[in-house]
Amino acid sequence: MSAEPLEQPGPEIDLDRVRAEIDQEVRRKRASGELPADLERELDLVFARFAPVDAVLGDFDSVMARVDELTQIDLVAPLDTTNPAVAFVKRAIRKTIRWYLRWVASQVSGLGHALGKAVRLLADRVGALEQAVPPPGGTVAREARLAGGEPDLSEWESLLVALLNDAPGRVVHAEAGHGTLVARLLARGVDAYGVEPVEALAQRADEEGIEVRLDPVAAHLRALTDGVLGGLVLSGCVDRLPPGSLVELAELAAAKLARGGRLVVIGTNPSVWGRERDPIGADLAGGRPIHAQTWRHLLEARGFSDLKVAEAQASEVRLSPVPGSDAGANVINANLERLNELLFPPRAFAVTGVR
Amino acid sequence: MAGAPSVDAVHQFLPSFRRRDAIGMHTVAVQKLVRSMGLQSEIYAWDAPAADARGLGVRDYRSFARRAGASRAALLYQLSTGGPVGRYVLDRPEETLVNYHNITPARLLTPWHKAVGKELDEGRAHLLALASRARAGIAVSAFNEDELRSAGYRRTAVAPVLVDFDALDSEVDVSGLDRLAGGKPPGGMDWLFVGRVAPNKCHHDLIKAVAAYRRAFGVPARLHLVGAPAAGSYLRALHQLVEALGLKDVVNLTGSVPPGLLAAHYRSADVFVCLSEHEGFCVPLVEAMRHRVPVVAFAAAAVPETVAGAGLLLRSKTPLTVAEAVDRVRSDAELRDFLVRRGVCRASDFDVARSSARFAAVLGEALGAA
Repeated sequence: MSAEPLEQPGPEIDLDRVRAEIDQEVRRKRASGELPADLERELDLVFARFAPVDAVLGDFDSVMARVDELTQIDLVAPLDTTNPAVAFVKRAIRKTIRWYLRWVASQVSGLGHALGKAVRLLADRVGALEQAVPPPGGTVAREARLAGGEPDLSEWESLLVALLNDAPGRVVHAEAGHGTLVARLLARGVDAYGVEPVEALAQRADEEGIEVRLDPVAAHLRALTDGVLGGLVLSGCVDRLPPGSLVELAELAAAKLARGGRLVVIGTNPSVWGRERDPIGADLAGGRPIHAQTWRHLLEARGFSDLKVAEAQASEVRLSPVPGSDAGANVINANLERLNELLFPPRAFAVTGVR
Repeated sequence: MAGAPSVDAVHQFLPSFRRRDAIGMHTVAVQKLVRSMGLQSEIYAWDAPAADARGLGVRDYRSFARRAGASRAALLYQLSTGGPVGRYVLDRPEETLVNYHNITPARLLTPWHKAVGKELDEGRAHLLALASRARAGIAVSAFNEDELRSAGYRRTAVAPVLVDFDALDSEVDVSGLDRLAGGKPPGGMDWLFVGRVAPNKCHHDLIKAVAAYRRAFGVPARLHLVGAPAAGSYLRALHQLVEALGLKDVVNLTGSVPPGLLAAHYRSADVFVCLSEHEGFCVPLVEAMRHRVPVVAFAAAAVPETVAGAGLLLRSKTPLTVAEAVDRVRSDAELRDFLVRRGVCRASDFDVARSSARFAAVLGEALGAA
């Protein structure tokens, strides 16, 4: 049969609306119990029995359940064959060596049980550690991320465009939120896309036609081929990740940027972090921002050159000077100025470098 | 405007040649096209079964150096995986063009078949290594072009895969069609997916979805999975899944089928469902649209671009979401008609004459810029 391009015109249908209705209907049926609550989980578990463990995205409990299942070694090997003689031979072999297999299998099962128990004990200890120090990708980290909303990076736009407009390849912004900076960079001729670990934000970008890929930042960078990026802008995540993860980001930046590639790290000044903006994010974060000098040090050690630090504009909130020009007023005003510097330093900085 | 080509031959290289797969058909069509441009063109492959290569003169890639002689040849590498042909092309001094069909992310296949995963990783390495020396990268979709650009290719263009869909529309196998129609229960529904049986195509998600559909909606649906197996362990797992779910009479894993029977499957299908995790283009989507089968698909990789508003694209492929979507297509005649109408229109965009003209322009541009 062949295609017939000349079709009778018919009514237009908004497929986005249809899709939204389908999603809504599924939610409604799940909530009302009209759709079996455990059906999908049950189907996943059935497939997980036959798939390699690392092919199935499962939680710890599912994987351990699989381990328990695999620990039970089946001694009854299948006899599938179309040849009756072969089936007879197979059955005979199976029967003959059964005592031996049972002996070996009991030891392998014992080892499996012991290893499973050891892994569970280890998991308990990891769980306790995670409660004390939330991991970068965990629930608490997600809450910390969402509390901050979309940071305003507009004051860095000119610096970014000047630095990135002749980058030797595509530019990634991570974390990109719902893609405001990516859209601005694209509008100014920089070939950029974003990476954002929170689905709701990435989806909003998608709805607005901005390319923001749903991925944890480090995982996305790890998956890229070495030397493939022309530029990398890191913001947001660099304020909340623990030091080990920040060092990994520096290493990934060095690995994934092409020669001549540009890196920009936009961080919050540690001395104002959580004070003026995003106190919830600051309280819940697993890490905290590090100083611009520390970024400089990390990047220099990883081969970045032309490293510069730019500071955001100082806060407009200041302690007002006392009127008068006598000696007493001058001393007070000098002290106030020092207090202003301590209390209201620039909120953020950008460290730039070239690979 | 392109100048005159600076070469007198464009020879194609590919790891594996199969006469009836999308890349194989594309390669043969490109060969014809190049020859029509007055240039010599041969096909060189590593793995080309005699039955596939017969009559097409597909040669062993290692014979190229001996045959090339003094001609000013450019190499067109049909890149979709790694392997010795990629290494060979990398080492050749000739001008190289990359025709990129996309490389499945290794993480989707490695758990099932480690060797294939390694080959895919090697393909990515070849993609990157060729970026600095290839004269241009030609992608079969904008999704693929994006990857070329991310890999550092400076000159890129999109030219659709050259598949003569008219030639694929062979006579329907009438007895096969009768069998399919006869086996369909009253009030039933036939789901269809066509593609290699490989983990990235997610046949297991289709099986789960049809199981959910039957349980939650009570419609006696069947699922026909047409395509040759690529990873034995995955096929085995699918059979085990089907058995465990009690769907032996519902899920039909046909293997590779002759063109007439494939046409019968399209003809009898009520819906084409694609839940692939990764597609660089997906020719069966176009075939389904040509055959007036409404498409429901998971919006992954290049699928949204291929379907282009002519199919119901899903952001989630949980079994119940897929089931709900398919049921909507079944029960909403207006939606079904709309999808069919749009699908036929979209499929006509891939008319081989139009695609060939585009490919010739892109190729001429790349060659003229030498």
